[in-house]
Amino acid sequence: MTILLVFISAAIVNNLVLAYFLGICPFLGVSKRLDTAVNMGLATTFVMTLAAVITWLINNLILIPYNLPFLQNVSYIITIASLVQLVEMFIRKTSPTLYRSLGIFLPLIVTNCAILGLTLFAALKEYSFMESLFYGIGGGAGFTLALVIMAGIREELEFADVPKSLQGAPMTLLIAGMLSLAFMGFAGLLSV
Amino acid sequence: MNHSIKMLLTLTVTAVVMGGVLAGFYKFVEPKIEENRLIEEKLAIMAVVDGIVDYEIIEVEIEGKKGPEILQLFRGVDGEGKLVGYAFLAKGPGFAGIISMMVGLKVDLKHLSGMKVLEQIETPGLGNKIVEEKFDGQFRGLAIEPKIEYIKNKKPFKPNQIQAITGATISCVAVVDALNNRIVIVLDVIANLESGGK
Amino acid sequence: MASSSIKKGLTYEFKKGLWTENAVIKLLLGMCPALAVSNSATNGLAMGLASTFVVMSASTFVSIIRRIVPKEVRIPTYIVIIAGFVTLADLFLKAYFPPISKSLGPYVPLIVVNCMIMGRAEFFASKHTIPPSLADALGTGLGFTWVLVLMGAIREVLGSGAIFGYVFMGEDVFTPWVVMILPAGAFITLGLLIGFINFATSRKSSKGACS
Repeated sequence: MTILLVFISAAIVNNLVLAYFLGICPFLGVSKRLDTAVNMGLATTFVMTLAAVITWLINNLILIPYNLPFLQNVSYIITIASLVQLVEMFIRKTSPTLYRSLGIFLPLIVTNCAILGLTLFAALKEYSFMESLFYGIGGGAGFTLALVIMAGIREELEFADVPKSLQGAPMTLLIAGMLSLAFMGFAGLLSV
Repeated sequence: MNHSIKMLLTLTVTAVVMGGVLAGFYKFVEPKIEENRLIEEKLAIMAVVDGIVDYEIIEVEIEGKKGPEILQLFRGVDGEGKLVGYAFLAKGPGFAGIISMMVGLKVDLKHLSGMKVLEQIETPGLGNKIVEEKFDGQFRGLAIEPKIEYIKNKKPFKPNQIQAITGATISCVAVVDALNNRIVIVLDVIANLESGGK
Repeated sequence: MASSSIKKGLTYEFKKGLWTENAVIKLLLGMCPALAVSNSATNGLAMGLASTFVVMSASTFVSIIRRIVPKEVRIPTYIVIIAGFVTLADLFLKAYFPPISKSLGPYVPLIVVNCMIMGRAEFFASKHTIPPSLADALGTGLGFTWVLVLMGAIREVLGSGAIFGYVFMGEDVFTPWVVMILPAGAFITLGLLIGFINFATSRKSSKGACS
């Protein structure tokens, strides 16, 4: 039950992009077309889930027992960077097709603050192992959802007459504001 | 071969140097951070217990959700050493993260003497209003029996009721739930202490 | 000649970060902290200064070791360096400015993934000597700071009728637009700000071309 709540909270109510402003760079950069948005979302979800699990292990098996909280930041970011590298090598070896569609996004994921943010928030909320796992999956799902909605809107927007000064990033930010307002409506969904 | 050794070496050296610098700096600022925490804790205890001049810390081992944990009970006394109330920490999951607070309990063990939120990362402008006097002031003199209740958009009419902040019900409910859960445990601990003392 | 070009370069490297290559409004880097902690002018200032410290230290450090680090491992090395300095800044705030550390919350550690800092290390400091790297980092940092303070001020004035925590419009005179301090307000403020700046600069440049 708690696991379901954690998932919904991460995916919808406390959406990483729209409520915590994490992962804005890819959100602005890769949301022009629907298919790239889906691929980017899936790649991020994959890395995010792994990262949530591994950083939980690091935090609870190394950092907390040996009282090394000041290494949290450094160790988490190294974990994420090497994880992305590993995933890239693994995908390239096993599935060239998948690599072709996801490959170019992988390096971008390292500097996606959504992943580091998610792992830090999970530590802050003192989640258990299973909760962290589902927080990772939920966070990834939420990121994908925001990206896909935005890409859908932007594809339609191509036919709209946007004032020249607002074209591109400003318009995307304004739409994100509206989406964020809309997502606030989900707040009542949870009473945790 | 030579090149990969150089790569490994660079990374290792960077990581070790940075780790060393951080460890050193942490050792240097740790006492200061701990001191800040203690000052904050002390101010909070002084604020939530009426007529308090000094307090002693009692540590009791209790059965927590994730195995045994230490519960700190602050026993407040006045200038003559007479018991004026208790203070304890309570925490629970809020809307965005963990909310932790200092709670004051009157000697009659039936009313709160105050509540102060210590840590929260609730939504600015809505949820974080739980730190304001308008909200936490409601806990002064609040009855805890049978348990604390909240009410929306209306003035509280029972002695054990508080009014939730409009638009931030989740944060308020989180505070009330955390308090109710903790109060049960703390009352139990106090009952044990008193009977053990006599 | 070399020295004169460096001299001219230094002012240039510093100034470009303030406006023409401003990280947030022109390059769209470092958006996450710009949106997240600009709910008050004080928070914006603190976040801006902390980021300035990190970008300056990291750029200096990267510039020093730029010849030693093998190309393949430069990104991980830079990340470790940046993460180190961020943790230093985090611990410093915790120890000496606890209220600020509290209100910035988990966003201080997130300076690590501020692409602005990585960007300066990768595209500038790794190719230049220390003085220009430092000037570039200082300009970038301060450019980031003023945008954050401006956004924080706009959102604080409209969202809570206050500036730098000082309430000048009580709730009886002015009903605060709560939406401005909420996440949605951040997106809208930044979107309109960039739009307005685009509008102003395009008018200025077209005017200049006419006359």
